[in-house]
Amino acid sequence: MKIVVAVKQVPARDSQLRLAADGRWIDDSELSFEINEPDAYALEEALQLKEKKGGEVIVLCAGPARAATSIREALAKGADRAIHIEEDKLESVDTLGVARLLAKAIEAEKPDLVLTGLQSDDLGYGQTGVVLGELLGLPHATIVMQVELDEAEVRVKRELEGGWFQYVTMPLPAVLTIQSGINKLRYATLMGIKKAKSKPVQNLSIAQLGGLPVPVAERTRVYLPERSKQTELIPGEPREAAAKLVEKLRFEARVI
Amino acid sequence: MSILVVLEGSGSRWHPLSWEALSAGQRLAVESGLPLAAAVIGEAGDAASKQLDHVWTATHPLLAGYTADGYAAAVEQVIQHVKPTLVLFPHTYQVRDFAPKVATRFGQVLASDVIRLRLEDGRPVAVRQLFQGKLTSEVRFSGSGPVFVSIQAGAYRADQSQPGSAAVEAVPITLDPAAIRSRAEEPFREAAGTVDLTAADIIVSVGRGIREKDNIALVEELAQALGGELAASRPICDNGWLPMDRQVGSSGQTVSPKLYVAVGISGAIQHLVGMKGSKTIVAINKDSEAPIFEVADYGIVGDLFEVVPALVAEIRKAKGS
Amino acid sequence: MVSIAPALPKTRGGAFLLEDRRPDEIFTPEDFTEEHHAVAKATDEFWTEEIAPNLDAIQHQEPGVAARILRKSAELGLTAVVVPERYGGMEMDLVSAMIVAEGVARDGSYAAWHGAHSGIGTLPLLLFGTEEQKQKYLTKLCSGEMIGAYCLTEAHAGSDALAARCRADLSEDGASYVLNGQKMWITNAGAADLFTVFAKIGGEQFSAFLVERSWPGVTIGAEEKKMGIKGSSTCAVYFDNVRVPAENLLGEIGRGHIIAFNILNYGRLKLGPFAAGGAKQVLAESLKYARERVAFGHPIADFGLIRHKLAEMAIRLFAAESMIYRVAGLIEAHLGGAGWNQPDAAQRELKAVEEFAAECSYVKIFASEMLDYVADEGVQIHGGYGYHQDYLVERAYRDSRINRIFEGTNEINRMLATGLLLKRAQRGQLPLVEAVKRLQSEILSGSSINGSADDAALVSNAKKAALLVLGAAYQRFLTDLAEQQEILAGITDISMNAFAAESVLLRARKANSELALKMASVFVREVMELIETTARTLLAACSEGDNLRLNLAVLRRFTRFEPVNAIELRRQIAIRLLATGRYAVA
Repeated sequence: MKIVVAVKQVPARDSQLRLAADGRWIDDSELSFEINEPDAYALEEALQLKEKKGGEVIVLCAGPARAATSIREALAKGADRAIHIEEDKLESVDTLGVARLLAKAIEAEKPDLVLTGLQSDDLGYGQTGVVLGELLGLPHATIVMQVELDEAEVRVKRELEGGWFQYVTMPLPAVLTIQSGINKLRYATLMGIKKAKSKPVQNLSIAQLGGLPVPVAERTRVYLPERSKQTELIPGEPREAAAKLVEKLRFEARVI
Repeated sequence: MSILVVLEGSGSRWHPLSWEALSAGQRLAVESGLPLAAAVIGEAGDAASKQLDHVWTATHPLLAGYTADGYAAAVEQVIQHVKPTLVLFPHTYQVRDFAPKVATRFGQVLASDVIRLRLEDGRPVAVRQLFQGKLTSEVRFSGSGPVFVSIQAGAYRADQSQPGSAAVEAVPITLDPAAIRSRAEEPFREAAGTVDLTAADIIVSVGRGIREKDNIALVEELAQALGGELAASRPICDNGWLPMDRQVGSSGQTVSPKLYVAVGISGAIQHLVGMKGSKTIVAINKDSEAPIFEVADYGIVGDLFEVVPALVAEIRKAKGS
Repeated sequence: MVSIAPALPKTRGGAFLLEDRRPDEIFTPEDFTEEHHAVAKATDEFWTEEIAPNLDAIQHQEPGVAARILRKSAELGLTAVVVPERYGGMEMDLVSAMIVAEGVARDGSYAAWHGAHSGIGTLPLLLFGTEEQKQKYLTKLCSGEMIGAYCLTEAHAGSDALAARCRADLSEDGASYVLNGQKMWITNAGAADLFTVFAKIGGEQFSAFLVERSWPGVTIGAEEKKMGIKGSSTCAVYFDNVRVPAENLLGEIGRGHIIAFNILNYGRLKLGPFAAGGAKQVLAESLKYARERVAFGHPIADFGLIRHKLAEMAIRLFAAESMIYRVAGLIEAHLGGAGWNQPDAAQRELKAVEEFAAECSYVKIFASEMLDYVADEGVQIHGGYGYHQDYLVERAYRDSRINRIFEGTNEINRMLATGLLLKRAQRGQLPLVEAVKRLQSEILSGSSINGSADDAALVSNAKKAALLVLGAAYQRFLTDLAEQQEILAGITDISMNAFAAESVLLRARKANSELALKMASVFVREVMELIETTARTLLAACSEGDNLRLNLAVLRRFTRFEPVNAIELRRQIAIRLLATGRYAVA
């Protein structure tokens, strides 16, 4: 079983974001980065499948040089090797363009299974996996909560809305987008970190993949959200604030 | 140039977000003067009595149950038939599963989870959130195919979708059974919903800020003092700290109680869509920048471990008098 | 193992006083490899997911919690960082071990668990054990199957550990030793499975033994009620006719002090990252509180005196951190990348650490006093809340205090450090006397004064001040100097601060960030004032009349500097820290 896991490096969850000078993205010069959370679950799922079925887990990541840290982390957790599509200007490439780059790299590997997180914590388009399936001509399933592998098929538990679920079966190879919480993430061990150093990382340049794709959907402006609702912040020490809140809920909002 | 809204559901059973997407389409049609049509997989039903120029239906035996392959092919054929310049979807789980496929076939990107859509010089500008609501962005489109957009839950109001009457016309659909590669089983629910949060008047909801499972008792006490139901954001249920049926948000229940108290919930968009229709929202969070304060009516910025016990005491005092 | 050593010059202990260094010649956190960063991240994750949520349980000594976390950390390799792979260790470098120590030490109680197990509980066996002993016990310590503890101190033998009364007597058949006595303040005693116990064979030959908890006659006392690190386990351990198999003698008979002193060197160095980890936590809490707490209509972070505190906390932390990793680099460079494959690997390790024993003492003294300062100001920033048990700083304040006491009190370390330099000079390992003479002749010829007022000149002058005082003290007391506690301690303060200033300055130049350079600029001058005061007192005790006047005149020239606007610099440093929300150097 050969599994490719596409992961993205995103700013750490608790990051204080600042806008870039050009107003089209964030200033990421002082941020710390981590593996996109759903992608981390996808990686874990791949590692668990490999532990059950044998085979190889290949981490695929498109991002600037700094993404190497996340790639090593994935290798330290147990991935066998990695492909790094190294490019600084990916922010200007749209989801379709990035998926095209990823798909080209995946095609060469001819994997049995492609896993990725259901969405990214930064852009949140939630479609790279689906688009990959389309570009690779493979069936897919999204928001996957459980994976059962057979010789030629995969049966997955998909999450639907409102607490509903559904099992879907499709032939391999297939693309699955993994939901956070599907498994319990493992820690990187120090031994894993040591071993990761000698695991192969293949660097692919954009040129090798046919050049930087031209975007069809362009992010032209990024800004802080305008408040749609005026929140009344209640100041004071906890007891004081609590008393004031209760008074407002009783006599102003009249909900208690 | 025209707008096509792809609705989810058919006949008399509809996904509620369909009407929100329709409302977005109607608003844009009024602003732009462009013709507006809807696409339905199955019977037009209620859609025929909406203010629309057209309802296009796609029916085929292979579309009886949802599959990404079948729906993507059907919607692709409708678009080719209708040739809209703008295609709107409600941002549902099902749309997330197949719409990106359709967009890809037209060489386009689905601008997903869009909160506002407007035209500038006749060209669509989609406003969508980044970083789970911490930032907002504008997206503009180029390329030759139609523009694809899915509308976030709660961004437009379903009750503002205009009634009317529309001509219903079927689009001929051809589907190859071999092209439908996945087999779906019947949807099911786990641990049949013992709690119906949607019926609750007061909900006290707890998030990551609670840090440990044992601390949840603190918030439970607040729920009891208020006479409300205890609920949670996704991470709490993922950790198994509370059962899944207490989860509010896109993968849990969508609620609109009279009072919603969010404790230690930062307000990721997946949570907000499940509760922002609540009448009064109170947020208690240590981070004054947390997106939950975007939707809250009242907020206390502070340590929940201090604020919640104080609040319990005050509520008991108030109720006792 | 990839070593940081090849990039660094191999130097001798104490040589920093005599030689000037370039930024690229010392190791600093800026030189961390990708692997070091990965180790830091893995440790950070473990802290966040496993330790932080259990801090209250650890603090209240809920049975089994801390030991369970410690065992789990062993599974990840966090407790056996430097141990060779063949015993189940990670065989990583010393720097990695320091990084892990910093990462788990954000709580003083847990730091004690980690340190007692992975440091003093494991190292004696690693460095002095036989192959059989290592196969039997070290593997289990590495896997977390056993928790280790170290039994040196007794009720009447603390700083003077060799006064131990614990005794071991060889049985008639020669197969075992019978161990009797009691040990005090034994960290991890409540959960430890294996004790390294020091006792005198026949009441005379100070030796070490590996003793299993399960053996008859081993009993553990009740948990001590301590001022701080209340979540650590500290008990007396009693040995009542315990039969210790002869093969469990650790090291050589009568050479127990070699083990004890060498392990202390390690312990002193390791105390550095423990203190730094704790201080970073306090600083982060204080920055947060200062931003959130409003007084007179402003967050208190807006106020100058609060900013002064925040900046000064970070500066001293920066200094300690710079010293810690510099010393780790000195040791690594001395090892020269030699791994654990050589038969004399343990000897090399010991020699490398012993070489820099004085620098290890500097780290111990400076870092423990830094943490005390940081915790104290952390409480002050929190005002009344800082005095309340609900706030982290209250605990940190109490937890900090032990660091000046254990691993050799700071007083013992102050005497040791200069004593060591003098000994090295006597043995011809350090050309201290020559350097002093050279300085004296330079002074007479007037060429020793570096007129430049830049930071590097200040550091160079700080070292000269140390040599000046050393020379004066030696001339006055000759061999009796070893008995002059106040003089020795004073010289240590001067040398230690010169070492700190140089470490800070070189690191700031390497980091080349505005923040680091500002911190260095303030720190180096602060140190010069301190050195001047201390040196004046010492010179007055070592010389008189014209001699004293000459010495003081020279000192004044060494310690003269043009002040920078430290008030403004500290404000700027604080503003930067407040924006970042935690300790940072850029």
